Amino acid sequence: MLQRSYLTQVWHQLSSPAAGHGEKSAKTWKMLTFLVALPGVGVCMLNTFLKAQHHSHEQPEFVPYSHLRIRSKRFPWGDGNKTLFHNPHVNALPGGYESHE
Amino acid sequence: MAHQAHAYHMVDPSPWPLTGAISALLMTSGLATWFVYKTTTLLFLGTTLLLLTMFQWWRLIIRESTFQGHHTTPVQKGLRYGMVLFITSEVFFFIGFFWAFYHSSLAPAIELGGLWPPTGITPLDPFEVPLLNTAVPLASGVTVTWAHHSIMEGARKPALQSLTLTVLLGLYFTALQAMEYYEAPFTLADGVYGCTFFVATGFHGLHVIIGTTFSMVCLLPHTHYHFTSNHHFGFDAAAWYWHFVAVVWLFLYISIYWWGS
Repeated sequence: MLQRSYLTQVWHQLSSPAAGHGEKSAKTWKMLTFLVALPGVGVCMLNTFLKAQHHSHEQPEFVPYSHLRIRSKRFPWGDGNKTLFHNPHVNALPGGYESHE
Repeated sequence: MAHQAHAYHMVDPSPWPLTGAISALLMTSGLATWFVYKTTTLLFLGTTLLLLTMFQWWRLIIRESTFQGHHTTPVQKGLRYGMVLFITSEVFFFIGFFWAFYHSSLAPAIELGGLWPPTGITPLDPFEVPLLNTAVPLASGVTVTWAHHSIMEGARKPALQSLTLTVLLGLYFTALQAMEYYEAPFTLADGVYGCTFFVATGFHGLHVIIGTTFSMVCLLPHTHYHFTSNHHFGFDAAAWYWHFVAVVWLFLYISIYWWGS
């Protein structure tokens, strides 16, 4: 449904390439930006920050499931065993978490 | 200069379509040789050639349109159709990945534990960073619309402000997603969950980076007075692409982050 209204909007723009959009002026969208959109982002930032503080920072338990940590082929970087965004604190290797030095 | 009895643009020969095709060949074969032989030469060559092609070809288009006036109304109409068709093809590209996700998640295999998310996977909380990552593209949709109206009204300063805000929001989204990728307790190698998650969001992220670059490339010409209030197709194309990227994120968020958790 979201996509259909997007296409309709595009179709309107297509059929009047030179015409302005009439009803809503730049001023309206500027107000929407500073009164709705950016404060909305700010609220979500605050929410994320507060929720993150409640997090425990322990490692998830390691269970050697066979359907996870699949290594059919070595990765073409490093030792071939770590994914691109490997995070030793939360990403276990197939044999378990790396020992902390 | 020869005079033509029609309003269409008969382009002069140029090497960039050929270099673009060659770079596609080098990049795909380069990716394969990297995976198998661990050498990056072809991939590096292909990427360099791609960047050169993009820079030169789009510079040529700006010259043909802004400075030589070849983009008459019928030409512009054709370009609009072209952009719409391209975005439509990209929609279908993403439909494939959503298909894969729903195929795997609606009837989870017994090897995963018969449930979704699979056993052993801790999904990300959809109401933390992903929610912020939803507010950001929505806000940037508002800012890019503000920019569009400013350009149409000939308001130069607001247009520069709003377009810059749009670019900044795009960069912020990319930075947040990169941090999420690093902090996620699951990886690409974690079965079909990890695969569908990172391939779908990864391609989306690539499109965000492309869209942000497109917008940055609109900001630069705009500072040099390339756009007029009723002829600014480059900007229109960038704005459509940006809205498309935001809509894809909404679908990703609702399907993978929210329903899939």
